[in-house]
Amino acid sequence: MKIKTSIQNLEKYKIALKVEQAIHEFLQKKTYLKVDLPILSPSLIPESYLEIFETKFRFFGKAKNLYLTPSPELFLKRLLADGTGSNYYLGKCFRNSEPSSKLHSPEFTMLEMYKLGTDYLKLANEVLEMLKFIAIKINNKTEIIYQGNKFNFLKWEKISVVRAFEKYALIGKEELFNKERFILKAKEKRYNIKNFTYEDLFSQIYVQEIEPNLGRNGYPTMIYDYPKEFAALAKLNNDGKTAQRFEFYIDGIELGDCYSELTDWEEQEKRFIDEARKRKEMGKTNHPIDKGFIEALKYGLPESSGIAIGFERLAMIFADATSINQLKLINIDL
Amino acid sequence: MKTRAGNLKKGEFVKYQNETWQVQKADFYSPGKGSAMMKAKIKNLITGKNIDYTFKSNEDVETVSVESVEMQYLYKDMENLYFMDERTYNQYSVPLEPVGEAAKFLKEGEKYFVYLSNEKALNIRPPMSVRLKIVEVEEADKGDTVSGAKKPAKLETGVTVMVPLFVKVGETIIVNPETGEYTGRE
Repeated sequence: MKIKTSIQNLEKYKIALKVEQAIHEFLQKKTYLKVDLPILSPSLIPESYLEIFETKFRFFGKAKNLYLTPSPELFLKRLLADGTGSNYYLGKCFRNSEPSSKLHSPEFTMLEMYKLGTDYLKLANEVLEMLKFIAIKINNKTEIIYQGNKFNFLKWEKISVVRAFEKYALIGKEELFNKERFILKAKEKRYNIKNFTYEDLFSQIYVQEIEPNLGRNGYPTMIYDYPKEFAALAKLNNDGKTAQRFEFYIDGIELGDCYSELTDWEEQEKRFIDEARKRKEMGKTNHPIDKGFIEALKYGLPESSGIAIGFERLAMIFADATSINQLKLINIDL
Repeated sequence: MKTRAGNLKKGEFVKYQNETWQVQKADFYSPGKGSAMMKAKIKNLITGKNIDYTFKSNEDVETVSVESVEMQYLYKDMENLYFMDERTYNQYSVPLEPVGEAAKFLKEGEKYFVYLSNEKALNIRPPMSVRLKIVEVEEADKGDTVSGAKKPAKLETGVTVMVPLFVKVGETIIVNPETGEYTGRE
């Protein structure tokens, strides 16, 4: 592990700064409250797909476990329940066991924003408006060139997860929602299915066959309505099979993940217990569950929708960089 | 030998669909839904083709032990390149197909690394650069000062590459054998 200064990245770093300024300007214009949050927390939301950093606070021989927050969600939603109105955080988050790569870093900058009284599809419109706003600030136009291709932010290219599996992976709706049939289909496609679940294989086929096609037609792509197994903290649709969740892509790169937020505390508690059990089975770091979060939900999380956007990835698009490291003045490869 | 796909590194050899592949690139990727992935580019050692494949990071992958042995390049025919291991005097044939364009830059009598698995030669490890003499090239016109302009030059192995106008017959140039690009003069 070496500390490297990368002064050759200065130009791209300055574009990232402009993207940051544009985001603050846009969100404050739209009356989102900017909030600064702790990075160390005594408890967290259990998420089975994330590993965390654990540390200790010490004072006269007494030690207390603290955790670097992998996402600001637990704080922002409490504040929503307490009445801040729409809010956002743009700052550091930490995820362990995710080595540095073109699109990953164990510490990264997250933009997470919540809007009251809206659902995921309406928030999608606002996200598009924000992308357009950033493009104009940086390029004086509603479009940018990324890696030689033009992207215009005047509209989304929209595709449902069901349609994307049909179109790009030749997997029909019936197979997508039937775990046994889906696993058989994966085997037919010569994926290794031994010891792997529906969720594992879904993700693998999604990354291998779907993602490379998204955001390739001159507009950002919004892909929506994931199977309920991937609902996380999102509301379910009336079909009972899919969740109100979308992600968006430019040039095959995932940039953001949006939910209509689950407001039902009982359902939330059930999912927490389930995620905590999965974490334990996977041998991940044991951490206290943030019970106060459930209390906040009981008190009443207003109808809202939220999106998490990888800031470095987004800035990478506007700076025409191919790796998030190209935006940094100090790089440490882990 | 087995390893978790999450540990794969560039240069390693793996079995995938019963064939041997070399990892060209392996990037960690977590989609945030479901398990983490290893996005890899792998090269088939028999056909020379590259493909992109996404492994689950906790998937078991069979690794193949491949030795890279320095050998003398003897000659080639329509199908194979022939090498000799100077320690044992054993001769090995490497099929031309996976070697691809790099084969045109190999010089008889020189030493190169050959990948061996179970005593079978799979491919060569292309050198980062080769030094080859120019046997044919046009003289540049005096006064031709367009910068970046290039002309074709025939090298001692018979292959033709594009070189800057100032390069002359008899000079030794440095070429990247995988791309055929001129990178400098001796």
